[in-house]
Amino acid sequence: MSAQPKTPTIENDSLEDRLYTVKYEDPGESHLDVEIPDLCAEECVTYECISVCPANVWREGEDGVPQIAYENCLECSSCRFACPHGNVDWSYPETGAGVTYKNG
Amino acid sequence: MTDALDRTGRETETPSYDGAFDAIVVGAGLAGSAAAVTMADRGLEVLLVERGRYPGAKNVFGGVLYTPTIRELVDIDEAPLERYIAERRFGMLTDRDETAVSISPGEWHEPPHNDSYTVLRGEFDEWFAEQAVDAGATLLTETTVTGLVTEDGRVVGVETDRPDGTIRAPYVVLAEGGNSLVSEAADLKKPESPENVAVGVKEVLEFPEHENAIEERFRLTDEAGVSYHYFGEGAVGEAFGGGFIYTNEDTVSVGLAYRLSDAATTQPDPEGTLNAFKTHPKVAPLLRDARTVEYTAKTIPEGGAESIPELVHDGAVIVGDAAGLVLNNGVHLEGTNMAVESGYHAGKALAAAASGATPDDAALAQYREDLTDSFVVRNLERYEWLMETVQSDREFLFEELPRAVADAGSEYFQMDRAPKEEHASAARQRLLEAVGGYTGAAKLAFRYRKLI
Repeated sequence: MSAQPKTPTIENDSLEDRLYTVKYEDPGESHLDVEIPDLCAEECVTYECISVCPANVWREGEDGVPQIAYENCLECSSCRFACPHGNVDWSYPETGAGVTYKNG
Repeated sequence: MTDALDRTGRETETPSYDGAFDAIVVGAGLAGSAAAVTMADRGLEVLLVERGRYPGAKNVFGGVLYTPTIRELVDIDEAPLERYIAERRFGMLTDRDETAVSISPGEWHEPPHNDSYTVLRGEFDEWFAEQAVDAGATLLTETTVTGLVTEDGRVVGVETDRPDGTIRAPYVVLAEGGNSLVSEAADLKKPESPENVAVGVKEVLEFPEHENAIEERFRLTDEAGVSYHYFGEGAVGEAFGGGFIYTNEDTVSVGLAYRLSDAATTQPDPEGTLNAFKTHPKVAPLLRDARTVEYTAKTIPEGGAESIPELVHDGAVIVGDAAGLVLNNGVHLEGTNMAVESGYHAGKALAAAASGATPDDAALAQYREDLTDSFVVRNLERYEWLMETVQSDREFLFEELPRAVADAGSEYFQMDRAPKEEHASAARQRLLEAVGGYTGAAKLAFRYRKLI
């Protein structure tokens, strides 16, 4: 019998390493925002934006308003669809900035 | 309009695009380029506007391009195709078992290979947009359409993020993808609910230390490739969706997609869900020693026929993902073919409108009619019931059934000194238990009768 383990180890890169695989050009300012910060702070207890984001762009912030690490954004728009309050302000990064996929 | 391509800082004469075109296409993905090719072939002056550095730079998909219409539009002999699909495999995963069906007709090895190829969108979309340019279209990259120009309720052009960025044209094709900010801002469609949108994550992997890993692990020769689909809790946990592996020429695409409403509740963290899928005992051996080349994410409009927005507006049509034209019922995962088909029909309708042979209203409405008569809307309508039924049976289909089938399988093939008859009976019993007896099985068969 071989010495192969039942399940070979899969090296899953950290999210940080994964995000390094993507070419990204900083548009200089965030293309993401919340429309009304108070809405997040006062009305939202579920934070769907944080749950659905595949790139850890949306993070728990002080005062109940999520922090946005827009530099990581893969432009999938999950946050925009997921927010039950329609409170995500999403615009395309300008003039080709933001993420560039080589394979896609 | 500033010349977007000049980065030398020289003073160059900047062409004015305003009014120079018959039609503007927003987005150089599959639907947009299909529309552009179709219109350029018919003599229209077409401007294809793409926000990415190149067509495809912002695009992500599962991994299989279906080409029945695309090869009618352009010669795909020189297209950057990765592999043709020679085997389709459907695997039900519990947390540790797999029960799979594999389909591999010999015919698929012969051209046109069932019109199914893996591609990488960064390469393919750029090539396809070049075909539109060869046909006479003008491609403008790194330019984001920020809104539509309307006059008296009619779309008469687009606003872009370029200086003096307004570009007027009689017709606009909205091929901006599922994240349809332009169409929504112009009130041409409503935002989708999270129940009708899936979040997809995907990795492209390479095997730096195993030159023949792909051929060996997936039993491939030459240009043949595979599409493996997985469902059940081993694929996407508690969520409604599935996982996939597709073989490219030198890489493998692995990913999954599941309903956004599940990502927001029972199955958060798409990246973690992907990690778990990759480490499933029946998946990991296919992917071991791989290195991540690229990590991507996208949302997929999966609302089906009922979610298709009004496709035709005064001066504008909506195509592709922006129109919600994706079929995902677990067995069929299609979208690229529907994007191309919609772009083609839209392009044809606009060319007819521009020729002035028929009044605008009637000519544009032809797009809606043609699409409704085509496989695109007919397939979506055919499976409209299925998604709802599957949703109501989800626990049974994604958890209980895979487990019961795996149990029945190990019972049926159990090697001991008991007679086969006993094992067969116990296996049958296990399956019947899961489906709710003969009555339950009959009900189930009735519920899914339209599948075949």
